[in-house]
Amino acid sequence: MSTTRAGSRWVRADLRARKGPAALTVLAVAGIVAALITAVTLLEDGTNPWRGLFAQTEGAHVWIYTKDGPQVSLGGIDGVAETAGPYRSAPVTVAQDGRRDPAALRAMPATPPAVAHPVVAEGRWLDPAQPDGVVVERSFARSLGLRIGAPFTIIALNGGRHTLYVRGIADSADQGFYPEWTPGLAYVLPVMLDRVEPVQARSEWVTGLRLDDPEASQVVSQRAVVMLEDGLQRVYTWREVRASMELDNRLLGTLLALFGVVGLVAAALALANAAGGRVLGQLRDLATLKSMGFTKGQVALLLLVEHGALGLLGIALGAVTGWGVMAAMLGPSSVAAGPVLAIVAGTALVVLAAVGLPAWRGGRTPPIPAAPAAPPRGHLSRLARLALLVRLPPALVLGTRDAFTRRVPAFLTAFGLAVPMMMITIGLGVWSTLDSFKSHPEQVGQHASLYVRPGKLEPAAAQRIAERDKDVAAVYPGTDVNALAPGEARSVRVRALGGSAQPYPFPVVEGRMYARQGEAVAGQGLLDLLGVEIGDRVRLTVGGTPLIVRIVGRAVEPDQDGEVLSLGLDSLAEKDAEPPTYYALALQPGADPAEVRGRLLGESAEGLDVQAAVNPADRLSVIRVVIVALIAVLALIGLANLLTASALGLRDHAFDLAVLKAMGLTPRQVMATLVTGTGLLVVLGIGAGAVAGASVVTALIDLQGHTSGVGAGIGRAPSPVTLAVTVVVAVGAALAVALIPARRAARAQVPVTAR
Amino acid sequence: MNAVAKTVNLVKIYQDGAVPVPAVRGVDLQVEPGEFVAVMGPSGSGKSTLVHMLGGLDTRTSGEIWLDGKRVDTLSESAWALLRRKKIGFVFQFFNLVANMTVGDNVELPALLSGASPKVARRRRESLLAALNLTDRADAAPAQLSGGEQQRVALARALANEPALLLADEPTGNLDSRNTRDVLRLLGDVHKDGQTIVMVTHDARVASLADRVVSLFDGEIVDDGRIVRRRTGTAGEVIDLR
Repeated sequence: MSTTRAGSRWVRADLRARKGPAALTVLAVAGIVAALITAVTLLEDGTNPWRGLFAQTEGAHVWIYTKDGPQVSLGGIDGVAETAGPYRSAPVTVAQDGRRDPAALRAMPATPPAVAHPVVAEGRWLDPAQPDGVVVERSFARSLGLRIGAPFTIIALNGGRHTLYVRGIADSADQGFYPEWTPGLAYVLPVMLDRVEPVQARSEWVTGLRLDDPEASQVVSQRAVVMLEDGLQRVYTWREVRASMELDNRLLGTLLALFGVVGLVAAALALANAAGGRVLGQLRDLATLKSMGFTKGQVALLLLVEHGALGLLGIALGAVTGWGVMAAMLGPSSVAAGPVLAIVAGTALVVLAAVGLPAWRGGRTPPIPAAPAAPPRGHLSRLARLALLVRLPPALVLGTRDAFTRRVPAFLTAFGLAVPMMMITIGLGVWSTLDSFKSHPEQVGQHASLYVRPGKLEPAAAQRIAERDKDVAAVYPGTDVNALAPGEARSVRVRALGGSAQPYPFPVVEGRMYARQGEAVAGQGLLDLLGVEIGDRVRLTVGGTPLIVRIVGRAVEPDQDGEVLSLGLDSLAEKDAEPPTYYALALQPGADPAEVRGRLLGESAEGLDVQAAVNPADRLSVIRVVIVALIAVLALIGLANLLTASALGLRDHAFDLAVLKAMGLTPRQVMATLVTGTGLLVVLGIGAGAVAGASVVTALIDLQGHTSGVGAGIGRAPSPVTLAVTVVVAVGAALAVALIPARRAARAQVPVTAR
Repeated sequence: MNAVAKTVNLVKIYQDGAVPVPAVRGVDLQVEPGEFVAVMGPSGSGKSTLVHMLGGLDTRTSGEIWLDGKRVDTLSESAWALLRRKKIGFVFQFFNLVANMTVGDNVELPALLSGASPKVARRRRESLLAALNLTDRADAAPAQLSGGEQQRVALARALANEPALLLADEPTGNLDSRNTRDVLRLLGDVHKDGQTIVMVTHDARVASLADRVVSLFDGEIVDDGRIVRRRTGTAGEVIDLR
């Protein structure tokens, strides 16, 4: 108790004496913890709406689409607990404010089923008294801007228009969100569906299976594939639904986690460096405390508490900030307590370990206050000798010598600057990768910037209108179909675009482009999914027809987690290929897609459905905000390291400087000596960090691309100019920061005797 | 009555690289309660080392140290620390005030450390600072004080727990003559109140204030003389050499 009181007085006094560096430490740690919590929240399923929706709707694990009502009892498969459906479903087009969106109209009974029942968020469920009522899935309704009571105009495959009215908007875990997952989903009563689509052959049947064990979905769906044989259209499981709902959060989370973990190492280094430097600066005070009767352990504890408390304060601040940001962005329930607690405990351990060593060393200070805490007697380092040899000014030689008198802190300073600089370089690499998405969309598979669906017109007419436009460089007819992969109980996307002879310029980064019928290129995700390599032959089933192609190359594929097979339209069976469902329009360089879109709409009297391609960089634009924030935090860490280094350098050399002044060094030379001492380490650290960052950034981004299915080949290092400017700015800022204490020291009257 | 401090054949050898450097070579010294002992000697004679060992700041190589009738040379570093809180006050040549703490806090620190309540510590500090004529500087930072003032604060801090033994290592070594006089007068005053003091100095005039002068040379006691002052103190002083 007695030492607590005495100790807390000392800690308070010490903290008051160095408010700035203390605040910096707190902020740096807080930034890192906030980044980590944000990362974990984004990576954790908690943010993925799928889990909640699936629980609420008592969703089905496997969804099976068949041509006719399934003739076999899918409910009899081992492991299936309950079934939903089969429901009849018909493809329609929703015409809304000049837009046309594909939709699946699903017939559901007026009493919602026990399994996979949509949960009505607004309005009511279907009512037999109002047969023209429709319940729209929420993301679809939001995308169309639908409200309760709004008209819902649909065009059936036979061209007939029907107007329904929105009675309810419901949440569902049956499929992913619109527009990432198409077609959109809407529920009607069976009578209504029969009226909209009387032809049975133009509809399909949907069955949901709820399993006892979600992990069995693979086995169960394979059983279903075998049992249904040709009747099967496609299958997907809860994993695809979940994956489609989480979307970009994962990429962002990975980025944040990378920065957070490396940043934590950097922050721990900065903290250890700051605490260690402070302890070195306080050896006399610590000796005095001991001469007054503080024990070794108490001094160590005192230091641990003081420096540890700063770290813990930072952790608390960061936890609150991270939680607040996530709660504000994703709702209060999005932050899972477990991982946050783990992060708080983990970072607390790191912080305590980081300050533990300096604290322990401080505790071992000999209690004789007179003992001078001089740096190890520095003979000239090789670098300093070199500096002397090339006749550098004396201040620079002295500074060069000073930089390395204490080897461990010198290393820590350089390393402590190198790590943040490396991360900043990586951040800039991510930035320039996004920029290259933007400036070279063709490198991420977006050679075409407009997609035209025929809509009301005949496909041939649509093609003619598109080809006539002066800004359209090329028109590629295309069709997207779902294909079943062998042994994989799920569907993959097959994108047929252009002809094999004049292929759509997919960005092939490995192998070659397909050049004739029966050849295809695949995204990384598809190669991983099927376990095939370039050169392998794959057999898929498209609506019962086999599709056998040889994969001759890998393309960068930002869609569908890279699980896309791209080939020429002529490689597809004619029934699937004709007529093309859309046309991809490559524009002349410099043409404005919006202008062309307007012209095409005008030409076709609003008959065409023209959509601009969404650049992946637009979806990822929030990453830029994150990069800026992270660079700020990393700069803080670097600054904290720098302040420690310059304070330590000053302390170590204050005595020498007095002597040097006595020998005739001008204040300007003294200043130059000090700045050189710190600056050399700064240049070393920042240079090494930039080089390390630039050399790993492309590989890192490609690694992320590989795991996310997009595939390697998207990573870009920051441009040399950007990197050079960053390095110059960082070194300049660091030197400016080092200059302030150096100026003060140079002007101060340092008595030779005071120690 | 027990001696306040006693050493028996005390030896300290520094191991500097491969060469052993003896600093103190077999010192037998006994300090009686209320005595004011000055330890003199040239630089490197081991006088500071002796005082540091008496306060447990440095470990002995061999020999015995007794404080208040108890053997203490075998104590651990922590036990020495606890002992210092209650029984030993230190004054150093360079004052060694904690730079970040105010004068008042510096003086209160030992009292708090020895378990006094904040209120008691504050009372003690006020009376000490008043006695040393520093009341108005209580809230100043040590750096704002002159050398003499800083040493007076250090003295107040050393006396805060009414230690059995006050160890002063060149307390005037860094002061001008006027401040030296002030500090010595204070030391004389506390000695008159019964404080036992061991003071290291190489200044004969400073040593003359003491009851007894112990001279060290190359780590050994070469002279131990008592200065007897006549109580009436009118006609000079007689130095009685043992």
